[in-house]
Amino acid sequence: MASRNPTNPNHASSSQPANSRETNPQPRILLRKPKYNRFTQQELPGCRPFLTPQWIITIFMLVGVIFIPIGVGALLASRSVVEIVHRYETECIPEIHRINKLAYIQNDSISKDCSKVLKVQKHMKAPIYIYYQLDHFYQNHRRYVKSRSNEQLLYGLRDNSTKSSCGPETNSNGVPIVPCGLIAWSLFNDTYKFSLFEDIELHVNKTNIAWKSDREHKFGKKVYPFNFQNGSLIGGAKLDPSVPLSDQEDLIVWMRISALPTFRKLYGRIEVDLEADDYITVEIQNNYNTYSFGGKKSLVLSTTSWLGGKNDTLGKAYVVTGILCILLAVVFFLSHIIMPSRFDPKNISGHKYDTVDQ
Amino acid sequence: MDSIWESKERSLKRRIRLDRSSEELGQQGYRRVICNDPQANAPFNYRGNSISTTKYNLFTFLPKGLFEQFRRVANVYFLFVAILSLAPFSAVQSVTNIFPLVLVLSISLSKEAFEDWRRFKNDRKINSSFVEVLEGDTWVQTTWSKLVVGSIVKIKSKEYFPADMLLLSSSNDEGLCYIETSNLDGESNLKTRRALENTWKYATPYEARNFRGEIHCEHPNDLLYTFTGNLVMDEETFPISTEQILLRGCSLQNTSWIIGIVTFTGHETKVMMNALNVPSKRSRLDKKIDILIYFLFGMLFVMSMIGGISCVLFINPQLWYLELQIDTGDIFSASPKAMVGVLMTLSLITLYNTIIPVSLYVSIEIIKFFQSTQFINKDLNMYHEETNMGAQARTSNLNDELGQVEYIFSDKTGTLTQNVMEFCMCSIGGIIYGSSLSDDQRSDTYGMRIPSEQLHVNRPKCEFYEKGFNFCDQRLMGGAWRNEENPEVCKEFFRCLAVCHSALPDEESTSKEINYQVSSPDEAALVVAAKNLGFFFHRRTTTSVIVRESHVQGLGSIQDVEYKILNVLEFSSSRKRQSVICAHPSGQLILYCKGADTAIYQRLEDNKSPIAVATWNHLRKFASEGLRTLCVAYRFLDFSMYQSWNAMFQEARSSLTDREQRIHQVAELIEEQLILLGCVAIEDKLQDGVPTCIHTLLQAGIKIWVLTGDKMETAINVGYAACGLIDANRRQLVISSDTKGDSTEVEIKDWVKQNLVFYLEDGKEHRITNGNNTTLVIDGKCLEYALESDLHESFFELSCQCFSVICCRVTPLQKAQVTTLIRYNARKVTLSIGDGANDVSMIQAAHIGVAVRGQEGMQAVMASDFAISQFRFLTDLLLVHGRLSYVRISKVVTYFFYKNILLTLTQFWFTLFCGYSSTNFYDDWYQSLYNVLFTSLPVFAIGIFDQDVSPKISKQCPQLYKTGIENLYFRWQLLGRWLFFSIFQSFIIFYFSILTGFSGKRLGKILGQWDVGTLAFSSVVIAVNFRLLIGNSFLTLWHFASILGSFVVWIIFLIFYTSIYSIWDFEENVYGQLLVPISTLDFWFILCLSPVAVLAADLAFEGFQRIFMPYDYQIIQDEELSPTGRNDQQLSKGLRAWLLQPS
Repeated sequence: MASRNPTNPNHASSSQPANSRETNPQPRILLRKPKYNRFTQQELPGCRPFLTPQWIITIFMLVGVIFIPIGVGALLASRSVVEIVHRYETECIPEIHRINKLAYIQNDSISKDCSKVLKVQKHMKAPIYIYYQLDHFYQNHRRYVKSRSNEQLLYGLRDNSTKSSCGPETNSNGVPIVPCGLIAWSLFNDTYKFSLFEDIELHVNKTNIAWKSDREHKFGKKVYPFNFQNGSLIGGAKLDPSVPLSDQEDLIVWMRISALPTFRKLYGRIEVDLEADDYITVEIQNNYNTYSFGGKKSLVLSTTSWLGGKNDTLGKAYVVTGILCILLAVVFFLSHIIMPSRFDPKNISGHKYDTVDQ
Repeated sequence: MDSIWESKERSLKRRIRLDRSSEELGQQGYRRVICNDPQANAPFNYRGNSISTTKYNLFTFLPKGLFEQFRRVANVYFLFVAILSLAPFSAVQSVTNIFPLVLVLSISLSKEAFEDWRRFKNDRKINSSFVEVLEGDTWVQTTWSKLVVGSIVKIKSKEYFPADMLLLSSSNDEGLCYIETSNLDGESNLKTRRALENTWKYATPYEARNFRGEIHCEHPNDLLYTFTGNLVMDEETFPISTEQILLRGCSLQNTSWIIGIVTFTGHETKVMMNALNVPSKRSRLDKKIDILIYFLFGMLFVMSMIGGISCVLFINPQLWYLELQIDTGDIFSASPKAMVGVLMTLSLITLYNTIIPVSLYVSIEIIKFFQSTQFINKDLNMYHEETNMGAQARTSNLNDELGQVEYIFSDKTGTLTQNVMEFCMCSIGGIIYGSSLSDDQRSDTYGMRIPSEQLHVNRPKCEFYEKGFNFCDQRLMGGAWRNEENPEVCKEFFRCLAVCHSALPDEESTSKEINYQVSSPDEAALVVAAKNLGFFFHRRTTTSVIVRESHVQGLGSIQDVEYKILNVLEFSSSRKRQSVICAHPSGQLILYCKGADTAIYQRLEDNKSPIAVATWNHLRKFASEGLRTLCVAYRFLDFSMYQSWNAMFQEARSSLTDREQRIHQVAELIEEQLILLGCVAIEDKLQDGVPTCIHTLLQAGIKIWVLTGDKMETAINVGYAACGLIDANRRQLVISSDTKGDSTEVEIKDWVKQNLVFYLEDGKEHRITNGNNTTLVIDGKCLEYALESDLHESFFELSCQCFSVICCRVTPLQKAQVTTLIRYNARKVTLSIGDGANDVSMIQAAHIGVAVRGQEGMQAVMASDFAISQFRFLTDLLLVHGRLSYVRISKVVTYFFYKNILLTLTQFWFTLFCGYSSTNFYDDWYQSLYNVLFTSLPVFAIGIFDQDVSPKISKQCPQLYKTGIENLYFRWQLLGRWLFFSIFQSFIIFYFSILTGFSGKRLGKILGQWDVGTLAFSSVVIAVNFRLLIGNSFLTLWHFASILGSFVVWIIFLIFYTSIYSIWDFEENVYGQLLVPISTLDFWFILCLSPVAVLAADLAFEGFQRIFMPYDYQIIQDEELSPTGRNDQQLSKGLRAWLLQPS
């Protein structure tokens, strides 16, 4: 057969491979030697803390030693607060109406005035904060929480549109309500008047009872109540249509919804000291309906300490946590002494691989 | 990022199938390709040659990509919640539910898009490469994508084949060409392809133009190593085999040009058929995470149902301030109470969405990616100088699985051994030649209880040492064999070695420098041996083998003898032998055969002859020294007999159905009445560090099975040498078909059955007295029956009682069967390690496939999940990377579980206090960013930096590996504990936070619900981040940075977020919300108290567990890492002593 390859006329075998390793660089990935790097070699420096008994005992003791004094301090502060709690939802209903409290409270023709005398047990230093406390009132219920319009509270009826978020208190008689929503509609409307020994009137300061940020940023200065509580169902308090929302502090306080169904809200301040054994007469306008759902109503007069109002639980929580920590430290200490540490190589399981029974 | 995605992809694409099914062709007719007439092929509608490996295109990307994403349970759930949150009853703003999902999806999708874009660019580049096609009588340049079936193309040296082609002719006179197939199987040695003689002449455009023919062949398939077809030319049929087929992906080497006919194009080519997506392996932990997520679903539904039902019971028109009697279109107005319950349940589902960790999968993916690319691939301990390669994680899915391996199935040759074959002994005509190991050496090697590298003596190098040849016997060397008793036998023996093989000498060169291209290293060893013994094979032509022989009579005279190779009966693992039929220049036809002893002895003319008996004993002796043996035999053929056989053979070769099988059958006819010449013994040295590595792995509680094709004696011997899988103190159970001699199948089966039953009974008693120290040795034939359905259970039971199992003489299929048996019966993590093509099935069958890069090509690597260069690196891979990865991923998952339940439960407690309505305790954005911002950094700190013990220690104390096997870090008990703690802690945090909402604060003012929520959320963030520090025994700067970072992110977020006023909020918004609570002392008091109170419980538990019921790793941490930190120095020494003690 004639040769077809001019360069290699005679050698059939000339097309045998030369050294294939040289002519064909291998296409597989050649991983070069990795560079030493503490991260990739997993040799990053770090500490290896061990939970030795010593450490644990130290930590628990430390926590205990710090927490118990704090707790005691908080507890003392809380105890230094003088608090008068007066529950009145039943007392303020005349005996004859107690059979049907609901009928009483819903009957507008009966006077809701109720006068109570409170005795001051201890010296109360001004300012004395007045709170009302409600029970079984779910301000945090979803239907309630959502029923408001932040836009309306700040800007008023800008485009005359009704706020769907305000249901079911959006409109009244076909006209939008300002402020709309269940929260505003159900505004607390009991009022209190205080006098010392029945003759000296105690002034109740109702300014600056709401958080500043609420007053300034969430309630409009130019928004006035409109068409409020005009419906067939009257929920709670009425608002003075001539006062802008930003100055309606009762409303602002009420609308900062509480986290729990039992809550206090600030009503006002008495800015004079009260001495022990003073008698305070409270004129309560018992308007608010908690009877349909069996909720309690209380009036609270309270001083504050450096920590705020009376709150034993906070101090107790600290003290209990601290004591538990110390107890744990003791338990660890004792068991460390009594029980032999199992930190012994003998306790490593699978000591000999060939005796392990799988 | 690239390399790992790339390698993942490759692992999917390059699964090479080994099974050869040629039935398809018979069933579905055949493919017709009319050559040199593209139009004529049009009716067949063959696909074009352009390829697309992209998963998506512009239009399918979103639907398809999203579909892929929603195969994950958590994503489906989040979609469900996102849709729910669009409904009016949703408790949260829909955007806050959609946002995390979108974030997670967009991360995953952009990864997909990026990969696909690269594939697309790559495809475009390939499709637009040029190739020369015959048009008329000239070569015309055209792009690959325009190539069609039937056209004639010309490929030049170093070019890649654009499609699967039939070789017509080449620049070589004899139609020979060389190709490189590394793209296909990774093998870098050149392979030859030879055109059919009848087509050699079509070598110029003028001649090729006139080529007319039709190819009838199999339909497109993915079998790389088979091809059945015929070329019909002028009504004559010529069989086509793989010899004539050039596959796409290969390249032409050492040949100036070739001409071929395109037979398969584009996606029908074998390389593309192999690119089918194989489902990727998922780790057991991954599956367990799914179960965990289902559990969380369950918890979510239960919580929501509780809320829903309670809500129905709660709502009551007496709560006048809710005005429930008025229908406002929200949940509470729904008239039937049942409706309220259902809607509230759905609403709560949207509220509690944080319980399902949407970012879990993405986090784990990123962590595993780091682990494999940064740690495994870059580990210097696994870097091998000689091959210049480190370890390679070809998939990152299985990192954590490496930490739980309980069974290792190891190949022997090339995996435990170096696969550097050296001819060191032989037996010719019943006489042993070559030096065996002395007794001293032997006892050193096998006698010691603790095997170590130093003690394993490889055979000393002899005088004439050359790579592959370590033989020294004056009776044979330098032509001395002529004076032996039986020189004729010697001569034939050497001739067989020189002729019967498929080696290819590199080039014309002297005997010193010559280099052979071989498919397996023992073949090279035999050719080299023949060379050294005076039969120098130095050239191969297409039809003959040329051997430079020293003359039988005249010492010193040399002559080139050309053996015409008439037929080659190739080696296959099922045949276990290879034969060559050649014609001596004298005209004598001879069949040379070499192969495994069983294969040869069955076919001997007289297997009871003295030589056969002596050789049989020698085989046993060689094997007991750990040597591989091959028998050598020959047969003179009668010319007429050969001719009739050849006719049958040619027919079988051109058959279109069952070709392989038929060839085997025909080969059987001539491979009989062989005359035994003797046997050779080849040494395969153990790899460095294998005994130590195996010893370590055994200590780690891993069971090692050796599955080898070698003889029982060899296998047992390697078992001794490598590590004491067998030693004198262990009981050996042998189930072997040899002991029964020539038995029928039924007898063997009964024998296997008896054995299994007997050993099982016996084993029970034995185990009580001696513990688990039995080794089972079983051979392939017995294994076949042991794996049958009625016996496999007792076989499994028996193997479980054994310390180690050695299976010898097993086929690749059996390797896979054994792996599968254990995988599905023991339900333990299995790992297969091997280096050759015969291990591929086993590698794929196991949970984890590890390939040792070896001498036998890249097939195993292509099929594997991890590739390492030496067996000993398995220690690092499992004990360091696997274990750490397992520990890290487990910790990450449990941590996710904990932190999400903790947060969600605080919300749940609140639900119980707000009239069972779905009021949010936290702002929507707090919740939705919780997983992705405020608590994500510590997750990565754990996943990437955490070490329960340092890598050094985990190698020194292999026992620590049991934490993974026993799954200590991810047991249900552990999750139960975390669950308990999260319930308890969430309540504490909730309770303490809510405390602040009651009493008056500064100036008598009262905190509202949102202030309390902010406080509780801050407490959760602090507690969850600090939880990381407790019980974690290794803290780097990164741990602290991640905790600090989380706080900083949370604070910055809070500052920014609370200064944005949004009028679109339904509820009272958090504008200015930050200043109110932080101005009160209560806030700070509680913020300090809750996390401490919460974490004290954790600390107490962790401490108690650690001190009084420590896990092994904790003892070792304490003992080894801080010996000075403890007052009791004695224990530390105790530990060291323990570590050093022999097992």
